[in-house]
Amino acid sequence: MAKKKWLSVFVLVTMAASLLAGCGSSGSESKTAEGKEAGNSSKKKVVAWAWDPSFNGAALKIAKELYQKEHPDFDLEVVDMAKADLEQKLNTNLASGVKEGLPDILLVNDPNIQKYVTAYPNTFADFTDKVDFTKFSPYKVEALKIDNKIYGVPFDIGVTGMFYRSDYLEQAGYTAKDLENITWDQYIEIGKKVKEKTGKYMTTINPNDEALTSILLQSAGSWYITPDNKGNFVNNPAMTETLRVYKAIADSGIAKPVTGWSEFVGSFNAGDVATVVSGVWQVSSIMDAKDQSGKWRVAPIPRLNVSKAVNASNEGGSSWFVFNDSANKDLAMDFLAKTIGGSSEFYERFLKENGGVGSYIPAFSSEAYGQKSDFFGGQSIYRDFTKWSTEVPGITLGMYTQEAKDALKNELPNILQGADLTKSLANIQTLFEQQVH
Amino acid sequence: MERKWNKSTLMGWQFVALPSALIIIFSFYPMLQSLLLSFQSGKGTVYHYVGLDNYVRLFSDPMFKQAVLNTLLYLIIQVPIMLMLGLVIAHLLNNPKLRFKGFYRTAIFLPCVTSLVSYAVLFKSIFAVDGILNQMLLSLHLIHEPIAWLMDPIWARVVIITAITWRWTGYNMIFYLSAMQNIDPSIYEAASIDGASKTRQFFNITVPMLKPIILFTAIISTNGTLQLFDEVVNLTKGGPGNATMTISQYIYNLSFVYTPNFGYAATVSYAIVIMVAVLALLQLKVGGEKR
Repeated sequence: MAKKKWLSVFVLVTMAASLLAGCGSSGSESKTAEGKEAGNSSKKKVVAWAWDPSFNGAALKIAKELYQKEHPDFDLEVVDMAKADLEQKLNTNLASGVKEGLPDILLVNDPNIQKYVTAYPNTFADFTDKVDFTKFSPYKVEALKIDNKIYGVPFDIGVTGMFYRSDYLEQAGYTAKDLENITWDQYIEIGKKVKEKTGKYMTTINPNDEALTSILLQSAGSWYITPDNKGNFVNNPAMTETLRVYKAIADSGIAKPVTGWSEFVGSFNAGDVATVVSGVWQVSSIMDAKDQSGKWRVAPIPRLNVSKAVNASNEGGSSWFVFNDSANKDLAMDFLAKTIGGSSEFYERFLKENGGVGSYIPAFSSEAYGQKSDFFGGQSIYRDFTKWSTEVPGITLGMYTQEAKDALKNELPNILQGADLTKSLANIQTLFEQQVH
Repeated sequence: MERKWNKSTLMGWQFVALPSALIIIFSFYPMLQSLLLSFQSGKGTVYHYVGLDNYVRLFSDPMFKQAVLNTLLYLIIQVPIMLMLGLVIAHLLNNPKLRFKGFYRTAIFLPCVTSLVSYAVLFKSIFAVDGILNQMLLSLHLIHEPIAWLMDPIWARVVIITAITWRWTGYNMIFYLSAMQNIDPSIYEAASIDGASKTRQFFNITVPMLKPIILFTAIISTNGTLQLFDEVVNLTKGGPGNATMTISQYIYNLSFVYTPNFGYAATVSYAIVIMVAVLALLQLKVGGEKR
């Protein structure tokens, strides 16, 4: 009897243990097993992590098709995750030192580039000699450069434009000419007129979102932090001017307050605002409102009133990385270099099929980039965007962008309530320095 | 010796051996590791021991102070409101003459089964600038301009407190209700005969009898509030400014949003551990059995 009991306990323990062991490693094991098997059967499989199946995931599929023409034994698996999940998974994986389960190719949001490369040294492959970087917009390449090495392949860009409702602005008495190369102060004046004549807001404002301040700063070639990762809040004319303009927009009553992304998109889809200052990728959201076809146009963004400021900036964008420890490192690098890193055809298809704009200059003169859009009243919007993209000032995003943005966000309510700007900026600088220690 | 290790104790040890081993491996070992981690600092994989530097940094870190302040504010305002509300509702539902008891009970408990994220999103849409609440107030002519609830530091906190209260009151109510049903009705009968009013009965019989349960709910609510994360992230992302950021969100930011410093993040987690321990001890001292 006792023996039987012992036996049953033993069985129970082994069962539970094997169950747990199964949970722990099944994910990674099955993946490597798959990869190896695939390798044996002459197909070479590369795994990539991306976060938007209809955008960057789709881009990889186009690249795969192009690469397979030359390399029929190539295969690619795209793992789609939410962006926040991907970043969290990556950080935990890399910090714990567990390399299995990581993909070969990784999509990285540009502000994270420096952070990842510095925090996880020798983790990402050096692309310096693999891709001809002179063919890309300089500001994109600048973001990938750390200690004279270039750590990835530039992918999509967020060159900004001022989308506007030509019908509202016409009602207020403005033509397309009046919106070219204006300053932000002129923009506010136009906004007041629009509000008066049409009752519509000029734009939206969300103090919880740093998109606008980022666009303003980069348009003057400045950023929240300096290239050597120090706070860039004091003695920075671009920062002072950015916050002055931000407060002026908030105070003027031309901006509709929104609290989140869906409200922001909803505001222009519902026709509540006359302009949207945003990255080129906003085109697809704007075009969601089918009934507004033909009413939209795009102009360059307004300019800050400081020296070196231009009517062009950038919002968002990402790049492709390859892991140094990946078993398929050379293959993955070659795949990226030959497609996203050097194929005009890739960028033409990516634009046509997914509305994605890259920073590959040779593609800009192609037919796809010159197409006229009926939604935008026959304007060749992509030609305009790519033209502006070459004017965007190159900046180093540094390691502590998010910390600096949060330090700014902390003080922003005080600034909007009319606190002394110089004093507030000094506060932000102190807060930031305490944060990054 | 032989006495001690007789068959039944051995059998008992066999039963607890596996769970104990699992708890040690998956709970105590990580705790120890994170304690060690809290004495290190660096970025990503580059770490070095810094002694107590992280703990010293806590006291000069304005973001941490802000997060603690916000969290304590939720705690001090929300937990008493919720527990009192739970107690009152439980008392009302315990009335034997009440009809449709099942319906009310379900209705009040139902919020507890909704996912944290989905109810946060729901509250966000209610309190949006073009949200249903603003529409309602506008059509009742109570306000002239829509209020940006989630962009005002005070209102944003009010929204979060309202949301958490909505979500968790029913949960605590169920505890009180089940405890109330265990109180012998003859006690109330005797009290009525002695001439005690209903209010008097509530404060002098019901509340003292529920003391252990009230203590229990107070401790778990405190614990839960100190770990508040989902609601704030989904409702306000910690904004406006950092006016609604909680300690848990700060830990998340340190690990996954900022340049990762898991060492300092572990230190902040231990700060929560210490706070929970101190608060629980305090509550036990105040409300516990031993005087």
